[in-house]
Amino acid sequence: MKHYIESLLHSDDYQFLGLFVSDKTKEQGVFILRYLFYDIKNKKLNITEIDTRKEFPHIDIPALDWYEREIHDMFGLVPKGHPNLRPLMLFPENYPKDFHPLRKDANLNIEYRGYEEYRYENFEPEGSFKILVGPIHAGIIEPGHFRFTLNGEPILKLEIRHFYKHKGIEKLAEGKPVEFGLKLSERISGDHSLAHSLAFVKAVETIYGIDIPPKAVYVRAILLELERLTCNINDFAFIFQDVGYSFGAQKVFAIKEMLMRLNEALTGNRFNRGIIKVGGILKEIDLNIVKDGIKLLKKEYLKYKKLFLNSSTILERTDTTGKVSYETAKKYAALGYVAKASGLYFDTRKIMENKLYGPLIKEFSLKSGDVTARLKVRFNDIEESFDIIEEFISNIPEGNIYKNYEKKDGYSFGFEEGQRGNIIHMLEIENGLISRWKIRDPSFHNWPIIQEAVLGDIIADFPLINKSLNLSYSGNDL
Amino acid sequence: MFNVIKTFLKEGIKTEDISSYNEDNIAIYKKLPKTLKGSLNIRHIDCGSCNACEYELTALSNIFYDIERFGIRFVASPKHADALTITGPITRNMYKPLLDAMKNVPNPKVIIAIGDCAMDGGIFKGAYGIVGGLKDINIEPYILIKGCPPTPKDIINGILKGFEG
Repeated sequence: MKHYIESLLHSDDYQFLGLFVSDKTKEQGVFILRYLFYDIKNKKLNITEIDTRKEFPHIDIPALDWYEREIHDMFGLVPKGHPNLRPLMLFPENYPKDFHPLRKDANLNIEYRGYEEYRYENFEPEGSFKILVGPIHAGIIEPGHFRFTLNGEPILKLEIRHFYKHKGIEKLAEGKPVEFGLKLSERISGDHSLAHSLAFVKAVETIYGIDIPPKAVYVRAILLELERLTCNINDFAFIFQDVGYSFGAQKVFAIKEMLMRLNEALTGNRFNRGIIKVGGILKEIDLNIVKDGIKLLKKEYLKYKKLFLNSSTILERTDTTGKVSYETAKKYAALGYVAKASGLYFDTRKIMENKLYGPLIKEFSLKSGDVTARLKVRFNDIEESFDIIEEFISNIPEGNIYKNYEKKDGYSFGFEEGQRGNIIHMLEIENGLISRWKIRDPSFHNWPIIQEAVLGDIIADFPLINKSLNLSYSGNDL
Repeated sequence: MFNVIKTFLKEGIKTEDISSYNEDNIAIYKKLPKTLKGSLNIRHIDCGSCNACEYELTALSNIFYDIERFGIRFVASPKHADALTITGPITRNMYKPLLDAMKNVPNPKVIIAIGDCAMDGGIFKGAYGIVGGLKDINIEPYILIKGCPPTPKDIINGILKGFEG
């Protein structure tokens, strides 16, 4: 089984999507590990299951490193032969060693005190020095710890330590109704409120066996594109800011603000929270507001795209900075724009929902893998979003906006393409309540890549590289 | 470039009037010291939020809201700051960094709680990974701005209201 999974991980025809574990000790006496792949050639999911009581095989590939450490933390299962089994989410300073919260029999009442020290990697070549950044950063961003080893200006090594924001969302939802899960799913990663809630309701709808009405499908898709647009425009503005071009940054931030106001005019919430419900959408929305607004914003955006691409001083900063090769992207199973900029294409909308989007999404990918490439992928995404919104608004079908349903038990996956890449929610429902919920944000795959992207670059370029990857801490830490 | 600036001049600067806001979302527990009026330096600390609050805090600096016109600035270090803004439920892993940052803020340490989670954990209440909100660690904020997330207008007005009276 180990060799089979290994071969899939290295194969170009399969995209690794995640490793999902459930505690089934009560029913079947085992823990079930599900390795999830997408078979790109045959267009279907490939789920490989392993049952275990205590140990499971360690597979030596960076894409699985965090997963295996996470499972060791959460379930106390041991990846046999893992060379670096340090705690990942449950910091040894704050949690006891034998605390495995996602086991069904876990005792959650643990004392808050210091336990053990965390062990950082030992890397001190002669003449090198370290710069420690975080967990609290200088800007208005989320917490995370970065340890740079430098020799002069170039970065020799970066070690990241995340999960400062680990709250225990997955456990919190256990034993709670689906409605609570939906509310919580909007608060996994705030900027992706809609994408996460859609992935969640899709999992619920598959379990309940609901086919949602076509009008709801279209409205959801339009709102999702609006969110993608907002996030991409926001990233674009931050890249302007981090190359020191405030004029461009402020003008593009203004576009983002207008998009947020468009959201508010549509649904009453700047993040489109509370509009999605199981079976469809909550209320009718007037899409005519979007139609006119979006055209103006597109014109405005194109001005600043031109400004960016015509400025040699900006491109001087972004070209060849933060390179991620195809091999690196593949071995970390990169997702979203990080993958697309390095020649690895996976887009949930194109690959899993081609019926809906069709030719509106082009298979756009670049080879160079630097900051410019990641921005150009975003430009493509932005323009696609504009096209999709316009196309969908003019073709929106008439009919109901939701469908009534009967509640059922079962387990399923929900997929959605957020701005950062593919989002997956694995959901198990028992007696009408959530019994296991695994959230996989694309940031969980893409964060470790930053450690390779910065190598050889100077430390002053780090903020730029970080912004070009722009990953979620909250969605990663859970 | 000429064309871009021309448009900029033609469109004018869009900084807005912020007088419309929701008063119910603002709770003042203690008045802010008058000496800080017109020059309030803030260090932001995210203790475990979902990042929507951060999204709105970054929006404060855009040309629509331009918080610096009120003399409110976000600074890079707690040592430069008069006030801390705190978002999110306080996670176990962020509790110690938060206390360290607070130690470094000069007196009077003004705490401004932003968002529904900051006070009592909000929707994350009861999760094993959080120690709770500010209430649970016995820190009384000067101002609480409610909302999930609060709107930029509410945040600016909340801070400015702290100086009134």
